Amino acid sequence: MKKHTFLKISIFAFILFSVLSCKKDEDNGPGSITIQLDHTVKGDPVEIENIKYTCQAGHTFSVVNLKYYLSEIELHAKDGSSISVVDVHLRDIHDLSTEQYTVEDIPDGDYNSISFIFGLDETTNVDGGLENTIENINMEWPIPGDQGYHYMKFEGRYDSLGTGVIRNFNIHTGATMGNQNYFEVSMPFSEAAVRSNSWTINVSMDLNEWLQNPNTYDFDGMEMIMMNQAAQELLKANGASVFSIASVRKN
Amino acid sequence: MKNLYFYLFCFLSLFIYLSCKKDAVPTNPGWTYDPTPYTVEYPDNFPIMVFDEDNPMTVEGVELGRMLYYDTLLHPNGDMACASCHDQSLSFASFPTVLPHVNLGWNTTFLWNGKVSGNIEDIMLFEVDDFFKTDLTKFNNHETYPKLFYEAFETEEITSVHASRALAQFLRTVISSDSRYDKIITSGSGVFPTEEELNGYDIFFTERGDCFHCHGGILFSDNLFHNNGLDAEPSANGLSEITGDPLDLGKYKTPTLRNIALTAPYMHDGRFQTLEEVVDFYSDGVQPSATIDPLMKQAHNGGINLTEEEKDDLVAFLKTLTDTTFTNNPAFSNPF
Repeated sequence: MKKHTFLKISIFAFILFSVLSCKKDEDNGPGSITIQLDHTVKGDPVEIENIKYTCQAGHTFSVVNLKYYLSEIELHAKDGSSISVVDVHLRDIHDLSTEQYTVEDIPDGDYNSISFIFGLDETTNVDGGLENTIENINMEWPIPGDQGYHYMKFEGRYDSLGTGVIRNFNIHTGATMGNQNYFEVSMPFSEAAVRSNSWTINVSMDLNEWLQNPNTYDFDGMEMIMMNQAAQELLKANGASVFSIASVRKN
Repeated sequence: MKNLYFYLFCFLSLFIYLSCKKDAVPTNPGWTYDPTPYTVEYPDNFPIMVFDEDNPMTVEGVELGRMLYYDTLLHPNGDMACASCHDQSLSFASFPTVLPHVNLGWNTTFLWNGKVSGNIEDIMLFEVDDFFKTDLTKFNNHETYPKLFYEAFETEEITSVHASRALAQFLRTVISSDSRYDKIITSGSGVFPTEEELNGYDIFFTERGDCFHCHGGILFSDNLFHNNGLDAEPSANGLSEITGDPLDLGKYKTPTLRNIALTAPYMHDGRFQTLEEVVDFYSDGVQPSATIDPLMKQAHNGGINLTEEEKDDLVAFLKTLTDTTFTNNPAFSNPF
């Protein structure tokens, strides 16, 4: 009888062990924050390939492609502590896998601001400064005398002041002529109280803001801006208003 | 009851044992599976090559892939091999519009219309199953192949997956990285560009020519699809044929420019016979259309409007991309 009980216990222990081995970990660890990068034109979600927007210079335009780097993304808490989200993130409007970036294992805290660099700083923005992936190589800035990567490729079409002649525009930003041209962004948001739970922070880029505020960007005459520092400076100044926090929510 | 527990315990133990057991030894004496790992070597300035973890590179796999590449047994009637259309002396391309098999280890999209995407294993499986429609019984009944497949993949039944994996392993080694251009950009090589080549380089890598946005990087292709303005009414046999999206009309895969002087004629339909004709097109023949790529930002002017001297310089630069070490490499040649 004793032997019988021992066998029973052995079998039960074996099955229990097998089940536990396959069981998923419980989600009761530290919290997480997801940064979601969305894009708008004048507050509305971008409609790709639709010449429906009107910029301050008077042209109607469309958005076709958009890729850009954000780097040194950090979240800051009320108590003064900070956590690094990611060193470099390449966002491609056509690639959903780049839409979000989640940082796990976030310590409990009251997070209330985010900061990042638009583009890459001088230590990263050198030839071979990023991992040699095909995606990064496609962002190279090979202009003789310069180095590094495009910070942004914002491409589309425009109707030049209603003439009906559709032209293409390329707003390609980066470091040129010895000027770095990246800029820092810091934005407060309503508190995300992380208590072993997950949150999503929507960061929005309004593409129309690249074309105004404080400078009017006129597509005409801007066909080649990669070696045009005046155009790069104009865009850098406009860049100060392109980002906003669209929402902060607990998942 | 006691017996029932005993049998249950034995069954579970046997199940665990069988789960962990290595595959059986081959039924054919003299066959062994002890492959030698193969390391693909390429320059540091090339991107990180993408490998398939289900298809580790081995000396046996690469050599088998090379044999398959040149063997007409892949074709049901024995009419052609991969190499029939992909000629090493022409950078593994050929007339009229065959895309070259060069540096495929970094490709993620394949064919002019992007019908296949993924890695080389995916495109080779397409070639074996859909293009050749290979009769694999010929391989399974062959005098030498069964042993070679066993040595490479530890299989006694050859499938199209095994054939595609061998071909993929070979093609990952087919790397062009020793052109005159590669030597010029390598400090200490002692190779310097002519004035014409240098001018062409400046046109290529600035917005003057703006070639680099599609044909940039060390691979001279962005692996993407573009409508480069060949036709005012873009044709529907490119990417749009696959996606069904009218926004993709006239879009074709960016071919690499490595060995471009060897791969005439040019464009997806082979409409240009020489590099000079291609440069003339980008200078003055570009046709705006609803889906033309925004990168063609001088399309409303017909193109980049080069002078005759600039055209010559650009062609001189393009010719620096010819790699005769590659086209003469015995490791890529016909093993039969």
